Parts: sequence; C-alpha cells; structure tokens
Amino acid sequence: MSTAPLALIAELTHRCPLRCVYCSNPLELRARSEELSTETWVRAFEEAAQLGTLHVHLTGGEPLARGDLTPLVLAARSAGLYTNLITSGIGLNEKRLSSLVEAGLDHIQLSFQDAEESSADTIAGCSAHAQKVAVAQLISETRLAFTVNLVVHRRNLDRLEEIISFAERLRPHRIEIAHVQYYGWALRNREALLPTLDQVQESVAVVERAKERLKGIKIDFVTPDYYATFPKPCMGGWARLLMVVDPSGKALPCHAAGVIPGLKFENVKEKSLRWIWEESSSFRRFRGEDWMPEPCRTCERRTQDFGGCRCQAFLVAGDAAATDPVCSLSPHRHLIDAVLKRINLSPLSADIGSSAEPGAGNVKALDTDLALRQRWAYRTNPAGVRERPEL
Amino acid sequence: MTTLHSFSQPRLAAGCRLREMEGEPATLLFPEGILRLKGPGAEILRRCDGQRTFAEIVAEIQAQYRSADPRQIEHDIESFLDRLQKRRVIDL
Repeated sequence: MSTAPLALIAELTHRCPLRCVYCSNPLELRARSEELSTETWVRAFEEAAQLGTLHVHLTGGEPLARGDLTPLVLAARSAGLYTNLITSGIGLNEKRLSSLVEAGLDHIQLSFQDAEESSADTIAGCSAHAQKVAVAQLISETRLAFTVNLVVHRRNLDRLEEIISFAERLRPHRIEIAHVQYYGWALRNREALLPTLDQVQESVAVVERAKERLKGIKIDFVTPDYYATFPKPCMGGWARLLMVVDPSGKALPCHAAGVIPGLKFENVKEKSLRWIWEESSSFRRFRGEDWMPEPCRTCERRTQDFGGCRCQAFLVAGDAAATDPVCSLSPHRHLIDAVLKRINLSPLSADIGSSAEPGAGNVKALDTDLALRQRWAYRTNPAGVRERPEL
Repeated sequence: MTTLHSFSQPRLAAGCRLREMEGEPATLLFPEGILRLKGPGAEILRRCDGQRTFAEIVAEIQAQYRSADPRQIEHDIESFLDRLQKRRVIDL
C-alpha cells in the first residue's frame, strides 16, 4: 500500500485568457459545461486532507476564470491544506487579491513569458505582460509567499540574464525557472521551442551566477530532459507523490496521462480520492517496479528516476511501458537524438520550417515575431469561450 | 544569509506555517515542501514569533529539557535554524 499523495494538483478550469505556445494542458481541452461544481471541489479537498495530503495547487487554465475561486481557497485552507495558486495574474485586482488572502491563500506563483513586453505577448498570444507587472506589484504588498515562474525555451533563452533581473525587480521570494517540457501544446510546437545545446549550457551558467548573486531569493531550476543523460523522476514516480484532478473531475497520476491509451481514469464525482489513489487500475498501472522493462528493471537508478516519464515514453516511443526515451540507456534514445540533431544543426531553418522557400529574401527577416505568430499553434480555448483579442 | 546572533529574532518566512492537528506530528508547511517535525522541532518553531530572541528561545528549551546538555541544545537549535534559513523557511 502506498502512502498518501503529498499534493493534489487541482486543474480548476481549462479556460485561459492566455494562449501560450508552451502550454502543458492537453490538446483536448475540457469545456466549461464539463467543469466540476464548487461543492464537488470542496468535497475533493476534504477527501484529500483526510487521505493525508498536505498541499493543494490550484491551477488551470487560469484558475481566476472560476468565479468561485475565493470560496474554493477558503474550503481548501479550512480542510487544512497548504494552498497555492498558480496563475497568469490576468483577472486579479486589489479587491480580489485581498479576498484570496483573507480566505487563507498561502502562496502564489505568477508566470511571466519574457522580460520585454512585445516578445512576452508574442509567446502568450495576447496582450498580457503589462497587466502581469501591475499584478506583481499588488502581490508583493501582501503577506503571501510570492514566486515568479519563468518558462524558458529557444525563443527567450538568449535573454535569460535580463529575464532574471526583471523577475528580481518584482520582489518575489522565489524564482522558478523551468525549461519547457514537451507535452500538450509544447510538444506540438517543439520544433520552434526546443533550445540548442549551446543555449542550454549557457542557461545553466547564467542560473549559477544568478544563484550566487541573489542570495535572498531562492531559485529553482528545471533543466530540459531532452539534453539529459538520465530521465527526470517524473511526478516523483507514477502515483507516488501527486494526484492531478482535471476540470471535469477526472483523476490522473500526471497532467499528461490522458494521452496514454488503455487506461481508465476515474472521476472524483463517482469515486472517493482514497479509492482512486489506493485501488484504481490507472494509478496502480505504473506504480512501483513490477511494470518496468529492461534496462530499468535491473538499473540501480530505478529508485531515483522511477523509469522516467510514462507519457513521454508513449508520446515519443509509442509505448507507455517503455523506458523514458530521453534515457541514454533507452533503446529509443535515437528518436530524441534525431530531434536534437535537427535543432542543433540548423536552428534557424528549424524555426522557419520546411515550408520556407529557398532564396525567399533575407532569412533573418523571416524570423520575426509575425512569422512566428503565423507558424506557431497557439493554445486554443475550450469550445464556447470568447478569446481575448489577438495581437 | 544573515548570521544568527543571540539577539536575532527568528520568525517564519512569508507563506510558511506550522500545522498542528490532533493525532499527528507537527508539520512545517512551505512553498513546494513540507518538513515533518520530530522531537523539539515544533517547540522551537512555535517560539519563532519575531519577538523572542535566539537567546530567549534557547533558554526556554533548555528549561524544558533539563536532563540534556545545555550547550548541546544551543548548538542543535543553531544548526536547525541555520538549515531552515537556507531553505527560506525562517527569516532572521
């Protein structure tokens, strides 16, 4: 029997005013009509707390799109959970922020796409950066723990140093710098987002220097697993530490697990969190080591990385029960190396895509924000949600 | 890092709190982490209120654990608070 999940990741909605090209939400988004009611979320928080869960991460989509966010924070905190809000900040004003603080919110994570407005807005697919800066100011005046989240990729990595300086001026307690992980919309846009090896190495050096300089701010850094020798311990191991509940109530061991065929994911409307965690077949499927193939089965690293990511194994190698293909010992590693070769040999032509006509003027001119906007697949919204005006 | 002095007044950092529920050991909750407290950990953190000085906290714990070596207690509290400050859980 496994111990309780340490944290519940509550995807309250898939609605979002931003359309970030690296969004980790699934391509198939849940409609507003499918979203859980306030009462069901409250019950889920109470069940999580009874199970022994200590943290809840309220995320989305944009959780502020839920009109009942304040009562949900109150319910989570009343159940004894440490309550964290992961937000773009769009939709947050002074009044709403103080009601969230009053309700017992402990921690807020505010995301930024870049330091500079026009490129930030290009990545987000809408005009949002200036509002976020204003929201950061409001947050820094509260008693909340404040983390600035920065997602980095080929488009913004060359500016990492100035992005960190920008984040520092927002006066957070923590800065979380995460390389894009290739799931959902990010996987669809992988050719435009995957950094080069030079950029990755430089980013490690930049972060090291920043850690040295910013003693008062904690920096967490997530490196890109495509360039790793061994896989990341995805979610701390399948159904080992974390439980995700999607907007419709479907419980998943990982945000991206919905892509894996043949697994039956239970809904919190029908089953208790305890039953789902302890008994459901999808949570038990890759828990522990019995499912492991070689080379994981006899690898001494299996207790550290748990065989890596099941979703990535399916998405890249077509088999969720395979060793994570980013592992240097995986028989599928050549699939990752082929992508890296393409990106590193000609990063610019990978940007432009195969449709670029030879000799079509200045290559640099094609690599503009406008060209990107036309080529990227911006994250959409669930059916029926009115989009913010595009750029 | 701020150096811990006898006159330092440690307090829990923003967004860090002590969870004390019936029938379970005290747990320190903070962004992206938890710490299950054993022994006098909760006794020390309950006193990190931004009012008491480090010297006062040490004296109170020494009074409570009379059979233990007082110098060892001081040393243990110092290294405990140093560790928590490194994790941004305690402000000095």
